[in-house]
Amino acid sequence: MARLIKSEKEVEGRYEEVWTLVEEDALVQWPAGPGDVVGRDAPRLDGYEKARGEARYTGDIKLSGMLETALLRSPHARARVTRIELAPALAAPGVFAAIGPGEVTGVDAEVHFEGAAVAGVAAETLAQARHAVELIEVEWEELEPLLDADEAVERGSLIQESRRYERGDYEQGLAQADAVVEAGYTTQTLNHNPLETHQCVCEWRGDSLDVHVSTQYIWGLRRDLAEGLGLPQDKVRVVCEFMGGGFGAKNGVGNYLLLAAELAKRTGRPVRCALSRREENVVGGNRNATRQRVTAAARADGTLTALGGEYVCALGWEGWLPPTSGPMQLLYACENVKTVEHGAKLNLPPMAAFRAPGFVEGTWSLECVLDKLAAQLGVDPLELRKLNYAHADAMDGRPFSSKSLMECYRRAEPHWARRDEVRARSDEVWKRGIGMASQIWYGGGGPPSYAWVRLGSDGRANVVTAMQDIGTGTRTAMAMIAAEELGLPLDHVEVQIGDSARGPFASISGGSSTLPSMGPAVRSAAADAARQVIELAAQRYDREERLLSLKGGRIVSSDGGSWPLDEITGLLDDGQILGKGARGPNPTGMRVLTFGIQLAEVAVDVGTGEVRVEKIVAIHDVGRVINPLGARSQIEGGIIQALGHTFSEHRLDDPRTGTVLTKTLDAYKLPTIADVPEIVCDLVDVPDEHLTNLGSKGLGEPPIVPTAAAIANAIRDATGADVTSLPITREEILRALHEAQARGRKEPVAAGAA
Amino acid sequence: MRLERPSSTAEAVAALASGRALAGGTELVPLLRDGIVEAETLVDVSGAVPHGISGQTIGAGTTLAELEASAGIPAALREACRLAASPQLRNMGTIGGNLLQATRCWYWRLQFPCRLHGGDTCHAREGQHREHAFFANDFCASAHPSDPATALLALGARIRTDRRELDVAELYRLPTENDRSTTTLASDELILELELPEVEASTYLKAMDRQRWAFALVGVAAARVGGETRIALSGAAPVPWLLSAPDELDRATPLEGTAFKVEIARTLVARAVASL
Repeated sequence: MARLIKSEKEVEGRYEEVWTLVEEDALVQWPAGPGDVVGRDAPRLDGYEKARGEARYTGDIKLSGMLETALLRSPHARARVTRIELAPALAAPGVFAAIGPGEVTGVDAEVHFEGAAVAGVAAETLAQARHAVELIEVEWEELEPLLDADEAVERGSLIQESRRYERGDYEQGLAQADAVVEAGYTTQTLNHNPLETHQCVCEWRGDSLDVHVSTQYIWGLRRDLAEGLGLPQDKVRVVCEFMGGGFGAKNGVGNYLLLAAELAKRTGRPVRCALSRREENVVGGNRNATRQRVTAAARADGTLTALGGEYVCALGWEGWLPPTSGPMQLLYACENVKTVEHGAKLNLPPMAAFRAPGFVEGTWSLECVLDKLAAQLGVDPLELRKLNYAHADAMDGRPFSSKSLMECYRRAEPHWARRDEVRARSDEVWKRGIGMASQIWYGGGGPPSYAWVRLGSDGRANVVTAMQDIGTGTRTAMAMIAAEELGLPLDHVEVQIGDSARGPFASISGGSSTLPSMGPAVRSAAADAARQVIELAAQRYDREERLLSLKGGRIVSSDGGSWPLDEITGLLDDGQILGKGARGPNPTGMRVLTFGIQLAEVAVDVGTGEVRVEKIVAIHDVGRVINPLGARSQIEGGIIQALGHTFSEHRLDDPRTGTVLTKTLDAYKLPTIADVPEIVCDLVDVPDEHLTNLGSKGLGEPPIVPTAAAIANAIRDATGADVTSLPITREEILRALHEAQARGRKEPVAAGAA
Repeated sequence: MRLERPSSTAEAVAALASGRALAGGTELVPLLRDGIVEAETLVDVSGAVPHGISGQTIGAGTTLAELEASAGIPAALREACRLAASPQLRNMGTIGGNLLQATRCWYWRLQFPCRLHGGDTCHAREGQHREHAFFANDFCASAHPSDPATALLALGARIRTDRRELDVAELYRLPTENDRSTTTLASDELILELELPEVEASTYLKAMDRQRWAFALVGVAAARVGGETRIALSGAAPVPWLLSAPDELDRATPLEGTAFKVEIARTLVARAVASL
């Protein structure tokens, strides 16, 4: 039965109280461990399509008469257009339409960051559109940009009110401590750089709009576009069949999309608008830079008495304040915690959610300072983490729906025990060490989400839901869930997704929520179909329903009989069995989180500051694992992205003009395969008994959270050097090595850094 | 835009009077696309310059990929080629073109009105410059990015063009107020061949931000030629930089953000020299 409940909704650490439509979920979870399909490695169903170039991405959409778009973007970080003349562009060859400031939301004469759009041109070819943009006559009044985050906080230029949190008595906690470590940390601005840049094709059909778009949220786009254009929602169709990544940057409606929709309307033609790689590196969204000051205090035995953090986030002109303090508030059972977060509003391109926003930055500082504290106390860092284990939500005492972090720690022991052996492999040049960091993040998903399962007369199933697969392998996971429930081999299940006109509402692919939100709905739909099959079989074979189940493509009776599934479905002729499913509610009064620990083994060349990561061990607890092969792939991808964030990726801005200097991929250095170490994945794989009919949480974000801190702690273990800023460049390593040397001259090196 | 494909050196040189030389295209094409270089005519010189290795002579049209796989050439050049760019780029890029590589200075690439573009400011000096020069950086702080050029400089290679012979060192000049160019090559002059001396031992070491496909923060080439040790640096100055002796590093003039490069250079120079 459908029910309207008031519940807490969480996406990437942002909570809001909302009315939510939920349907009760009466299904009992499958037993733990591998089933016939679920819990067993399955290669991607669309792997061949993608490898052969047959999968149609947004960039492959070529509609008859389609126009291409180029945008005029501000070269200035802060300026005003004092005069603009579109006529020369309109007169250029191939041009069909041009849009100037004020004609579309997000295209304005006042610009507040480099790359802000002020005009757009649609022409037959991209070259013509770009040429026409160059012909636009524009005059600027340049204004002084605000580029420094600390200055912005001082001047009160904030995106939202600063967020303050305190529990217990922080000052008293400090007073109780035997050791207090305070340290500053910084993180850099990072670009998402998905393989596929932001892009769309808009086509009007009468008064309806079709949008092919690379998006993480088909339904959110449909809703917001309809609202923005003043259309009923069913007049907007959003299609995203295949997607080349998003990492959080493609959650919403971009102005490029509104511009394409308007140009399509004016010209009566389909219009494509695709960001170039350079545009992507400026206005494609970013992980905001931070400056952090954190304090960790503990008794001699390692019991934490106080944690404190002050975070300044350089958010750019728009955005929201990510939960940088989250790990400090949630990860450990510390009674006295005090945090404050400021979100600086600057004349820099707006931030966007980026794979565990806030928690990546906050875990960096927390897990680094904790290791410093452990070294100062002479307490084993793994023991320190176990000692301060949070058995319930440290913020409000709520029980966790499930938490196997202690099991992760236990599995970390043999890797940590290699420490002496690893360190012993050091030589004059290369110093080796191991470091660790814990991971905490959301990833429980939530309602509403729906799916249908269609069973045809040939005994094959089709999962239909208007969700997107942002590249994580969701399509395969959904097929596996349906196959398991229907007792079908995986190759008897198709999945129809990626089109708002072709299935029911599906949730956002953000906040590691796709699988935990959509998976239970798919199982529920498959179970509904299975129930109908059994009803029919009971009539056909004269058995009681309770005796019947589906397994191995057959209807099996517990009294011994068994019949091929298509013997029943074959009776349908052109009829179909339609199963309908909804995602049930999250457990009330419980906190749903994901956990893990990573260990890094590094070698540091103390003469040149080169760091080679030799191994990463990733042990995570995300409840039941649907596709172990896909899960390992997620972990590897998250760690590789984390390696780029740790060592080489850095958006550099000119400190005077606010111009982004790293617009191309030679300057903005993503990791290459040569930078990738051995990665060992270990998933605890115990279903969360309180969470949905699956017991599965999301895994998109957790693997990227602890990597940088684990590496920094390994560098300290190897060399005694305390790195404090990301990326860990050569200069940062050398600085930290000199600092450690100077410290060593003044005082004996701490036990943990001998 | 017109493409000419001359089949002789003389025809190529004549065509260069009004066109730009195109070999592998890995540098010229991006510069054209960015509007930093403008050309009505491109002159494909692949049919006009020698290609391949013969004894101590290397044709300017030889690709970096061919050089890295040639056992007969000095280790410094082989290593410099192997550590440069990516396999795709090395398959296209030629050694002649590589010598003429432009700086990766982001201000120059983004067409800030900097000194190399004829302006009166070096934006890097006051701005972001961690990838920039620590020698001869007063007028312009750009760093020369070529690994092979640095190896050839240390090896003491000679260059034969369509009209003269010169040392690799003579190919380069520091930009000045009156002349902003970084090479001495005439606009219609064509590099044809490189001539290597007998080299007793050589090596090339490179520090970069990732394991592959990055320009050098510091590259160090060292060679023993005729009993003499020669050292050259990439990523150190607006041109490949010949180091008179290791202690010349004490006289480096790093910017705030490039001081770390001097330290890396010290280590790599010591290691390179020790390995000879």
